[in-house]
Amino acid sequence: MSRLKAEHLYKVFGTRPEAAVKRLEGGADRDELRADGTTAAVIDASFEVEAGQIFVVMGLSGSGKSTLLRMLNGLLDPTAGRVLYDGQDLTALSPRELRAVRSRGISMVFQHFALFPHRSVLENAGYGLEVQGVPREEREQRATEALELAGLKGWETSWPDELSGGMQQRVGLARALATDADLLLMDESFSALDPLIRRDMQDQLLDLQTRLKKTIVFITHDLNEAMRLGDRIAVMRDGRIVQNGTAEDILLRPANDYVASFIQDVDRSRVLTAGSVMIAPGGGDSAREILAAAPATVGAATPVAELFGPFARSGAPVAVVDDRGELAGIVTRDRMLAALGDEPAAASADEPREAVIAGA
Amino acid sequence: MPRIHFGQWVESAVHWLQTHLNWLFDAISAVLTGAYDGLNAVLGAPHPLLMAGILAVVAWWLRGLAAAVVTYAGLALVDSFGLWDAAMATLSLVLVASVLTLAMAVPLGIWAARNRTVSGALRPVLDVMQTMPAFVYLIPGVMFFSIGPMPGLIATVVFSMPPGVRMTELGIRQVDGELVEAARAFGTTPRDTLVRVQLPLALPTIMAGVNQVIMLALSMVVIAGMAGAGGLGEAVYAAVTQVDIGGGVESGLAVVILAIYLDRMTGSLNERVSPLGRRALAKAAATARGAAYATFLRYRPGTAVATVGVVVLALVAGGMNLTGGGGKDSVAAGKNVGQGKRIKLGYFPWDEAVATTYLWQNILEDRGYKPDVKQLDPGPLYTALAQGQMDVQFDSWLPTTHKRYWELYHDRLTDLGTWYGPTSLELTVPAYMKDVNSIDDLKGKGGEFGGKVVGIESSAGNMGILNNKVLKEYGLDGEYKVVSSTTSTMLAELDRAYNKKEPIVVPLWSPHWAYAKYDLKKLKDPKGVWGTGEQIHTIGKKDFVKDFPEAAGWMKDFKMSEQELASLEAEIQNGGKGKEKQSARRWLDAHPGVEDKLAPVAS
Repeated sequence: MSRLKAEHLYKVFGTRPEAAVKRLEGGADRDELRADGTTAAVIDASFEVEAGQIFVVMGLSGSGKSTLLRMLNGLLDPTAGRVLYDGQDLTALSPRELRAVRSRGISMVFQHFALFPHRSVLENAGYGLEVQGVPREEREQRATEALELAGLKGWETSWPDELSGGMQQRVGLARALATDADLLLMDESFSALDPLIRRDMQDQLLDLQTRLKKTIVFITHDLNEAMRLGDRIAVMRDGRIVQNGTAEDILLRPANDYVASFIQDVDRSRVLTAGSVMIAPGGGDSAREILAAAPATVGAATPVAELFGPFARSGAPVAVVDDRGELAGIVTRDRMLAALGDEPAAASADEPREAVIAGA
Repeated sequence: MPRIHFGQWVESAVHWLQTHLNWLFDAISAVLTGAYDGLNAVLGAPHPLLMAGILAVVAWWLRGLAAAVVTYAGLALVDSFGLWDAAMATLSLVLVASVLTLAMAVPLGIWAARNRTVSGALRPVLDVMQTMPAFVYLIPGVMFFSIGPMPGLIATVVFSMPPGVRMTELGIRQVDGELVEAARAFGTTPRDTLVRVQLPLALPTIMAGVNQVIMLALSMVVIAGMAGAGGLGEAVYAAVTQVDIGGGVESGLAVVILAIYLDRMTGSLNERVSPLGRRALAKAAATARGAAYATFLRYRPGTAVATVGVVVLALVAGGMNLTGGGGKDSVAAGKNVGQGKRIKLGYFPWDEAVATTYLWQNILEDRGYKPDVKQLDPGPLYTALAQGQMDVQFDSWLPTTHKRYWELYHDRLTDLGTWYGPTSLELTVPAYMKDVNSIDDLKGKGGEFGGKVVGIESSAGNMGILNNKVLKEYGLDGEYKVVSSTTSTMLAELDRAYNKKEPIVVPLWSPHWAYAKYDLKKLKDPKGVWGTGEQIHTIGKKDFVKDFPEAAGWMKDFKMSEQELASLEAEIQNGGKGKEKQSARRWLDAHPGVEDKLAPVAS
């Protein structure tokens, strides 16, 4: 069972939202509704997030991604549809039960940090625990640990306005981690930071994730960020999820022109992996010969960018091996250039990718 | 457009409330007057200089040494003006009113911040409260609660509430929406969101509202002085109505000193109370630490030290009260008719009223009563007498000038007879207006007089006659306009015109000291429109004779000749403001036998 599941979520603002949902289900589009003074922020969004996964929702501003996120912890009530958290329908809970879920199960990290300026760093980090009613001593201990995880050891007695943006967001992260909530909702959490700090924070999040194995829903408008962080990525446009897949799916098989135009600027060499561009070894060479001739032997998860060096030394194909060290396929220089040169059709022909998507 | 009788509806509603909800008003009045009296007793108990010390320690705690020194100096000045008791009464009223206001305004503001409908409904109500002239509800206040601190308290609460509500609402709405969302996202209940996030962050704005509430309360308390609220308001009002410029400035200055003190203290309280303020304070202290020369001036005692200081001073004050005091001169044996009974004498600032009231205050004191003297406007005074909140007054002009009040309340009043008469009402010009001898002569001279008659309070009976009869009968109503002002303004205007020999015509009456001070001419009234002279009556509350049989007997026999009255008024004029009682005492001493004649004691 997936940890978090959204089923046909709608959020419509304005008069008579239920009627608007009916019309949307009947095929009306967003602009028709807007003429009537209703705004459909999220339309028919469905997805599942597995435990331990980072699920990125990517879209430009106004695409409805923040609204979608706020329905996941009940800050906004869906106009239609359900949110299942560990199989529990959040939309059916009483306000009190919903608060209990938010307090213990789901925490949130905000775009502009949303730190309480009248509380010290430690008090901010311990806020969620305070709401839970954890006694002071335990609260402070756990908040200190969370701050340490976020890389803020020694800043406990400082005040939020004394910290840089990146450090403030670390406090925000610590506050979310301190409650031991399993699901983290991150709303453009790194967008307000400058690029270097942002990269740092992304690395730290990935690093934390290998240790803590949280389930994370991450909102961003930055495709590179989405590709870097996301185990799975949902691309939103005008309130709808237009594509839901892995970074490579999106890169190699954009669902439509919109997604395709989006991915133009992505550094493909860092997203594409050897496994996704490899082809079956051709000719009569045995696996042993291929391995011997190859300038390098890499795993399937190796980014294409790391193949540039070997190709610079030799024109022979690079060997790709599986977990047991057996030859899985080869990457030729031509194949790699074709993949980097945005020829999705060529890449998709023989890949077993669909199976992965279906299994996700 | 048909006439909509809104005023009448309100009036009948007021009467209905008066008859049916009297118990409620009495209960409210009892609680609030109790709070006011209690606080006043506490603030007024210590010796003025000790109390000033306590207030100075508070200033030291909140703002530092310089503020404490200035506070002490300012309050000592108030004491030297002889306004200490009045200032403490005002401070009590302001504090009680502010606490009451905030107790209502802050919850209302919170409610409005969380509910758009409430906010929308509240806005016009607040506008009305803020802009409706205070007198409009000051008078109904007197009807419900009688004179004294209550109507003033109500008027103050009404007037000072809007900024409290608005600033609270604004402060809460201003809190960053993302912070509120963050609180919700961590499962905070709405109540806790308010207490832990919204209120602490809104506190600076709310404290600015508190500051506004207190300042408005102070400004209103002065107006409330006119409805018998006492304190500095009464001192200002009394000084102004008697053209006592020096006294007015002194009591006005006392108001200003209190205002500045309260303003600065509430402003600094924010720093001590709100978490953000405390942080700013700590930061400032950290940066200032380098500058050693000012540490002494900047030193502020901690809360604990300040509390100890206040308590020590309060204990000293308590000790002194135990040992001191009690030295009251006793009444000559055999003349103690009153047995310490309180008797409330009311007057409005007309000279013969002042004269007779202070005369009787001296006499009644000699006879063992405890007379309280209070200045009020005629309307509130008659209302108070009718409700039994006042016992007696000496300046009821009947049957004309106070006809309205008499008709309204005569079945709830006791007429103790006349002591002076007949009086006369007239239009008066300075004697240098050679060719104006009769009201008829005013015709065609409108230009010369600027087309106006400088009148007195529009509520005065002679103003009614002047407007409705005199001008019409003599065909002057297109040519002259009666400007209503106050008696003191009229007299000041007369003084000004007289000194520059400018033309002026004013409504005046006899007896009046102005005839002795200036060379004036009463205009003849060939048509007899002003009516025949009036009698000045002594009017008591309904049960006056029952409650004060001896005093009632004396007052029924009370008579004064024009010479006696003139010399008494002159004595009081010469004695100056604030010394009326001593002046009347001097007059009594100079006229031996009068006292025993006015208040004979069977021996």
